Amino acid sequence: MFNFYLLVVILLISFLFFFIGLKEAKKLRLVYKNNLHSLPHYYGFYALLASLLPSLGIYFLMTIGDDFLFSHMIKSYIPDEVTNAKDYNFLIALAQINNSVEGLIFGTPPQWVTDAAELWKSWVQTSNIIVASLCLLTSIASGYYGFLKINQNFRSRNAVEKIIMTLLAASSVIAIFTTIAIIFSVVFESVRFFALIPIDEFLFGTVWNPQFEGAERAGSGQQGLSQYGSIPLFAGTFLISFIALCVSVPVGLFSAIYLSEYASSKERALFKPLLEILAGVPTVVYGFFAALTVAPFLRTTGSMLGLDVASESALAAGLVMGIMIIPFISSLSDDVINAVPQSLRDAGYGLGSTKNETVLKIVLPAALPGVVASIILAVSRAVGETMIVVMAAGLAANLTANPLEAVTTVTSQIVTILVGDQEFESAKTLSAFALALTLIIITLCMNFYALHIVKKYREQYE
Amino acid sequence: MSDKANDFKSLDLTVGDVFSKEARLKARNVNVYYGDKKAIDNVTIDIGNKEVISFIGPSGCGKSTFLRCFNRMNDTIDICRIEGQITLDNENIYDSNIDVVPLRARIGMVFQKPNPFPKSIYDNVAYGPRIHGLCENKEHLDSVVEESLKRAGLWDEVNDRLLSPGTGLSGGQQQRLCIARAIAVSPEVILMDEPCSALDPIATAKIEELIHELGNEYSIVIVTHSMQQAARVSKRTAYFHLGKLIEVGKTKEIFTRPQHNQTEAYISGKIG
Repeated sequence: MFNFYLLVVILLISFLFFFIGLKEAKKLRLVYKNNLHSLPHYYGFYALLASLLPSLGIYFLMTIGDDFLFSHMIKSYIPDEVTNAKDYNFLIALAQINNSVEGLIFGTPPQWVTDAAELWKSWVQTSNIIVASLCLLTSIASGYYGFLKINQNFRSRNAVEKIIMTLLAASSVIAIFTTIAIIFSVVFESVRFFALIPIDEFLFGTVWNPQFEGAERAGSGQQGLSQYGSIPLFAGTFLISFIALCVSVPVGLFSAIYLSEYASSKERALFKPLLEILAGVPTVVYGFFAALTVAPFLRTTGSMLGLDVASESALAAGLVMGIMIIPFISSLSDDVINAVPQSLRDAGYGLGSTKNETVLKIVLPAALPGVVASIILAVSRAVGETMIVVMAAGLAANLTANPLEAVTTVTSQIVTILVGDQEFESAKTLSAFALALTLIIITLCMNFYALHIVKKYREQYE
Repeated sequence: MSDKANDFKSLDLTVGDVFSKEARLKARNVNVYYGDKKAIDNVTIDIGNKEVISFIGPSGCGKSTFLRCFNRMNDTIDICRIEGQITLDNENIYDSNIDVVPLRARIGMVFQKPNPFPKSIYDNVAYGPRIHGLCENKEHLDSVVEESLKRAGLWDEVNDRLLSPGTGLSGGQQQRLCIARAIAVSPEVILMDEPCSALDPIATAKIEELIHELGNEYSIVIVTHSMQQAARVSKRTAYFHLGKLIEVGKTKEIFTRPQHNQTEAYISGKIG
């Protein structure tokens, strides 16, 4: 709560500087008879930003920094008999202290924890005072600096533009940085996994059978029961994605052609939103549609035909995933087909082509790169899809090409491995990260390839 | 002069000789509507055999709309409606039993912006013969492609790269490729909708020369913004204004002795 009030006060101060700056600029404008470089409100903005940004920066740096500082300082206050104990873990001790600070007390904590918590609380108070006074001082000082800079020749418009541009660039850097951070966290865990399991066994092994084994592998040097060959998982993933594409590519592409070439504007206005509703259905709904409706239907139909269909068949998951991807392909393809210049269609009609010939021989070939790109994007969506396969595809890591059997996918394995209580040092848990890393690399490659195709396609008409 | 022109002002009829002795295309009392708006108002004109005729007039006067009536390209626009009669060799092209596919093969069209298909040069020219099944074998098709490119004056420039994309050619070459594509199906009439408006002067000169030569074999209707171009390429000229055909006559006479005051105003640059 204290921090919230502090932020409000900083904001108020900066607004104050806005009005001071504005007033000063208006005064100057009168003095110099409108011969001021920028409009008055730019001077106000400059004073506002000058007051706000440095103090905000200091505030965030200090509130992030003090936690690190305190946990380092508290180390020396933990009694020796605790640190010398056999199962001592600093992080756990720290968590105990923090819980106590926040009033989450379970049972009676040891005396040293309560003491440390008291100490911690006093530090927080001191730091609050330091942070607050520093922030307020900075906001006033830097705001005053901004105010002092206001004179006839100061180019406040350019300065404000520059600051705003920097803020915008910083936002996009955050997005990029997060992506990189995610990839790195996955990479580091994967490296730990590959220290336990050789990478070639992971990439080329054909049996996936992870078991919890504790110290078995590390301790006795005995070969464990677990096997981490990822090929069945990727085979399952691609089998299901392939089935999904067999459904979604023709249906999506044909509906895109219908919508963009044949449908009247009324039909288009009706069908397009309906297709987009399909894109808005949460995947978990598709998941139980697959598990409760499609899978039993396939099973009964299969037994009527004398086929043995697993209750969690790849076919059921793939079919439903295909339906999920239809709007992807249809709306992306619709866009590329619409982007084919009308002049090409006119040329076709002018030579006496029928509508069908024009679509097949002129429009589609011209749109083909874009259509292919939309299909590749759909594949990477299918490969990464989780909920449907978790609910409908089962967990048996069979290496098979038979769509009637149960297979499992990379994503559903990751989910099963990481859901629930895990020991974080075991190869089984870490294998989830190795799987995720491989999956990220595959989808990244596909997305890059799709973007490359789209780019090439754009150059054709421009 | 001005007295004479004023006499015509009250008349709602076209000045000059709209009829032609050996007419291939005949338009009679043609009206075109876009929704409720009348775009072409009661136009009657003949297009003669192997004649180059140009349609001139200010922007929005309906000359392109009227041109597109001849190969029924206006059919592709939902709100467009056409009244009156247009005949090709005394056959009504708007008759319900006329199929637009062979009609458009007989009346070719070249568009304002060069619009080659994103295919090879060869495939661009071969497209028409292929969809109409004009050639029995590859050799025949090859010869049709070569002949068309030669007639369009493009053969010498592209004969060593027939399989490279047509979109890679320069603007003027692309437009000649489009002309080659149009004549590959041996049309009887070629409609050209401002074929040089997107081209530089040198490319324009080449296309004009080509139109001049093609005029010996085909009837050509060319819509143009440039009066100089009309004067250079065509024998007859028709002047449109606000959807009405104002004056038709020999190009020389239209440009030197316009009879209607509106034609005179346009030619002398007072409207445009």
